[in-house]
Amino acid sequence: MRFMVLVKSNPESEAGAVPTTAQLEAMSRYNDELVNAGVLLDANGLASSADGALVQFADGVPTVLDGPFAEAKELVAGYWLIEVKSREEAVEWVKRVPFDADVDTEIEIRQVFEGEDFGAGFTEELRERHERMGAEIAERHG
Amino acid sequence: MIIRRADAETEAGVLPTEELFDAMAKYNEELVKAGVMLDGAGLQPSSKGMKVRFSGGRTSVVDGPFTEAKELIAGYTLIEAGSLAEVVELVKKWPAEDGHGNVTIEIRRVDEAEEFPTATPEVIEQERRMRAATRKA
Repeated sequence: MRFMVLVKSNPESEAGAVPTTAQLEAMSRYNDELVNAGVLLDANGLASSADGALVQFADGVPTVLDGPFAEAKELVAGYWLIEVKSREEAVEWVKRVPFDADVDTEIEIRQVFEGEDFGAGFTEELRERHERMGAEIAERHG
Repeated sequence: MIIRRADAETEAGVLPTEELFDAMAKYNEELVKAGVMLDGAGLQPSSKGMKVRFSGGRTSVVDGPFTEAKELIAGYTLIEAGSLAEVVELVKKWPAEDGHGNVTIEIRRVDEAEEFPTATPEVIEQERRMRAATRKA
């Protein structure tokens, strides 16, 4: 099962604070462990919302708002995508994220939908199209 | 990273209809054909998730659901594009079937390790190795 592990923003990350070398090195070691355990699928940090945009659709009509967005507490600052055997395994990995000891934060863990979770609307034809897209992405970017 | 924010229906676990799946597949196929699509997935409602709280060097685990639905994530699409304006144009074509035409899509730029003046050559090399190891081929 795949999980998305989401790190939330804080005033420093939203202000564009750059991680220290020690923090980058600690995360590098942690990511190496995830890679070596074969659980890491992807990981990225996101720039502050000042570099982003919101597109809000109301009855199909889009309105574009430039960042930064006000509700910084609930924005995403970065994520890992992992594949593990259980929820417990996901939690155990997340408990080991090398935050500084004085950090006060929450990491959100969310399960990713797989084809079999989707029910009747996800037809065999849609499943095949989904697989073809995956193959084409791998061919172009793999 | 294109983030489809959650709403009451996604948080209630309402599954997409075949019509919505088809519209999203068409949209995603266009992104793939344009060569910009890297990854994408939907997330199960927060009731199936959990939070790990870090405080004073200790951790504690809280089960979902989480209440702030409109700030939660229901799905994401990772793309590679030349500019924010290009991404905005792609997002404006988001299928109207999704959220009955009422959705909020957040666009966020991904950091590259090289951008950090604090990143040592070893950190940048580790990131390169990680990308090579996690690339889905």
